[in-house]
Amino acid sequence: MKVALLACLASGALACDKPTQTEVPDGTGETAGDAESPPPAPTEGAAILLRGGTVLTATGQTFAPGAVLIRGADIAAVGPADAVEVPEDAEVIELDASAVITPGIIDTHSHMGVYASPGFRAHGDGNEVASPVTPYVRAEEGFWPQDPQINHAIAGGVTVAQILPGSANLIGGRTFTVKLRPNSRSAEDMRFAAAPAGLKMACGENPKRVYGEKGGPTTRMGNVAGYRKAFQEAVEYQRSWDSYERALAMWETESDRRPRPSRSSEDGEGGGGGGRREYREQPQPPPRDFGMDTLVGVLDGDILVHMHCYRADEMSLMLELAASFGFSIRSFHHAVEAYKIADRLAAAETSVSIWADWWGFKAEAYDGVRENAALFTQAGGRAIIHSDSAEGIQRLNQEAAKAMFAGRKAGIEVTPEQALEWITINAAWALGVDDVTGSLEPGKDADVVVWSGDPFSVYTRAQVVFVDGELVYEREGETGRPRSDFDLGLRDDLQEAP
Amino acid sequence: MTRPALRLSLVVLASALAFAPPFLSAVQAAPPVADNPDASEPQAAPATLLIHAKIHVGDGTVIDDGSVLIEDGKIAKVQPGTLGAADAPGATVVDLGGKTLTPGLIAADTALGLVEIGLEDSTHDEARQDESPIRASYDPGPAVNADSSLIAVQAIEGITTAAVAPRGGLISGSVAWIDLLPNDHRRIVAERSVAVVANGGRAVQGSRAATLAELRRAFEDAQWLRENERNFDRGAARELAGHPADLEALWPVLDDEVPLVVRANRASDLLALVELAGELGVELTILGAAEGWKVKEELAAAKVHVVVQPTRNLPGSLDGLGSRMDNAALLQAAGVTVALAVFDTHNVRNLTQEAGIAVANGLDAKAALSAVTLNVAKAYGLDDDYGTIAVGKVASVVVWDGEDPFEFSTWAEQVYVRGEALDMRSRQTQLRERYRELDGFAP
Repeated sequence: MKVALLACLASGALACDKPTQTEVPDGTGETAGDAESPPPAPTEGAAILLRGGTVLTATGQTFAPGAVLIRGADIAAVGPADAVEVPEDAEVIELDASAVITPGIIDTHSHMGVYASPGFRAHGDGNEVASPVTPYVRAEEGFWPQDPQINHAIAGGVTVAQILPGSANLIGGRTFTVKLRPNSRSAEDMRFAAAPAGLKMACGENPKRVYGEKGGPTTRMGNVAGYRKAFQEAVEYQRSWDSYERALAMWETESDRRPRPSRSSEDGEGGGGGGRREYREQPQPPPRDFGMDTLVGVLDGDILVHMHCYRADEMSLMLELAASFGFSIRSFHHAVEAYKIADRLAAAETSVSIWADWWGFKAEAYDGVRENAALFTQAGGRAIIHSDSAEGIQRLNQEAAKAMFAGRKAGIEVTPEQALEWITINAAWALGVDDVTGSLEPGKDADVVVWSGDPFSVYTRAQVVFVDGELVYEREGETGRPRSDFDLGLRDDLQEAP
Repeated sequence: MTRPALRLSLVVLASALAFAPPFLSAVQAAPPVADNPDASEPQAAPATLLIHAKIHVGDGTVIDDGSVLIEDGKIAKVQPGTLGAADAPGATVVDLGGKTLTPGLIAADTALGLVEIGLEDSTHDEARQDESPIRASYDPGPAVNADSSLIAVQAIEGITTAAVAPRGGLISGSVAWIDLLPNDHRRIVAERSVAVVANGGRAVQGSRAATLAELRRAFEDAQWLRENERNFDRGAARELAGHPADLEALWPVLDDEVPLVVRANRASDLLALVELAGELGVELTILGAAEGWKVKEELAAAKVHVVVQPTRNLPGSLDGLGSRMDNAALLQAAGVTVALAVFDTHNVRNLTQEAGIAVANGLDAKAALSAVTLNVAKAYGLDDDYGTIAVGKVASVVVWDGEDPFEFSTWAEQVYVRGEALDMRSRQTQLRERYRELDGFAP
């Protein structure tokens, strides 16, 4: 049975239930992850109140019936339906009791835009197969915003995605975190400005397969030697800059003490020690290397490492290698064997971005189990369900459902709240944006999905999606699914099609 | 403000955030089948009587409280009400307590038993390396590996039966039909050469027109060869499209004994195939059919069986520009016999998810169950023996732990393949158990 609901366009909340309370729980009490306190609730911009249905905040709270107030680009209030104040100017949308409101879904692993549909040779912009170490490339600069995959992802409730270079290279380049804003004309229009940069790295079979006959690496040994060499170069690069900056500082100090030396005064009075003479000329900076800058950003903790790695033993070695250089790995991606070393990964505070059930497509994926996410969560780790697929990204809620129910069937307790965290706040943490999105809390970005029902049912679909408070998708309604330029004239019949 | 009013139409579900429904009474464990590696003859499975089952027959009918008697791997009785021990002397009686019983799910177009690890060539047997694209005589039946870990992984989630089909070339070979009996080399292959499988699109000569022409030539030459065998033996043959053995292997298709199964997606290819099949007078099944909905009238009129994967809705290539998730529903409504598939051998177990998604996009739930059972059997011409819970058919059935087999909360609780109660374990469940607790490992 379908129940069509008319929006209740409130002027002075005329036709809508008047709220009885004005105090709103802010939901910050039980925040998952390590989000800092979100910024203050917004006071400007258009107001939209989503009311009725169940609100799952991804902070462990559930309000049924609940309400979410959007003001401008942000969330203004979240709470029980009768406790969220209805501003006079609010557009009130009454939801069916079976509807569920969640944060927008976040995918930590997508190649949309860099491996666009159709899979033309011309659309292969994800792997810079020029060298196994290419920290200087950026996914943002290969990203095609007209990829029709993007709008299908939006229709699946996805509001944020990390676009990564592929896994051909040991160090593949910078990742690109996007807000899925339709009608973007260039990559910058989708850039998630608050997101820190990420670095894609890859373990195992892919680099040695791709470079096995191109000068290596040809083995896993070669892979690790490659990471070590690259980061050592970064250390030395950093050292050369540090030494330049020290020299510059000393030179500036000396410049302050005496007149700038000129060539004619070089043999003048008080010709002191060699050291002093060194700084008579302004030190010149070392050559700038954008790839090394990226790796130094990793060493400094400013750039988050996302590493494609399947096997437990390799992940363990990588933790050791990263520790030896003093950086951490934010998330292992694919991590088909995470369940085997869940304890070590949890202790290292390294998250895993995993599938619900992919396995067997290569040797390092042979030991996949359906309970990976459940076991990892049980061990205290931060699990994330990712897609790595333009099809899978359309139903990450279903992938999380499979992983949740598989865990339960095996006797591992997983709650719907935890399963929701796998595709929202945990993913936000991995991308370093958990203080601005990933949960429904006042002050956070209004990235919101209204589902037709339980998001963990196979029959449920996203009905309405907001990105930064903008309505970007409406399954039934005028907005519909956004269309890319590619769709025009080629997929006109599909405007209404799922 | 000018924002368009939102119109929400919400599907009302039985319960928001429902957990798995409380378990009904546990199934009595069926006795494990005796492991008898020395036996040279396959052991007949003991008779089993399932009572108090909610039987989804697979053809759209449901028996709310019924009994199923399984004897010699076949279904001996199906009826409403409760059969007693007198009706089945010696049978193991299993009281399902109202649980859902369906036919075993059937996976179309897999490489089960022919591939173990995707990127490891040494584990592949699904393609004959051959300069000739006409490889109809390639029969993968003898190569099906019952010890493949993939068999149990799929079987314990309800996939009891599969079409095992070769890949590559224009005509890849013949299709083997298997019962997913893990490790049972003697019985896993139920029937060989149940269909001939070919590839449409741009399979050969860099052109889809050439592909269609070559396919036609292969059948015409097969026909010529049969009519001119004596000339051929005298060496007075014209140049043939393929090796005589590969052309002879097309005779059962020309005789309408087995279907021609073709992988194709673009609407123009589908129409061309319908026309070709009509001219040759052969039975046609199309796999993929991403744009099937565009030519549904022709597919229905020609009684072509169509096998689609509902989640395919992206223009992965220009052949699939018209891909949409309601393809199955549109075809079904037009009168096409639709089956569903997961075109990924390692995860054909996700057939239930595909079925659920087809339902969410307009396919009737009963039709969806038929689409993963009976209609797959029809697509390969095996519906006399497979696809429904009916007397005389192979007793491959699944007991589910929830009402709705398509929901993620529902799992296969006990799977019977050819009457045998499977040990509900796989290599994956063993891995899970080994690492369930990490205390025993070095920190």
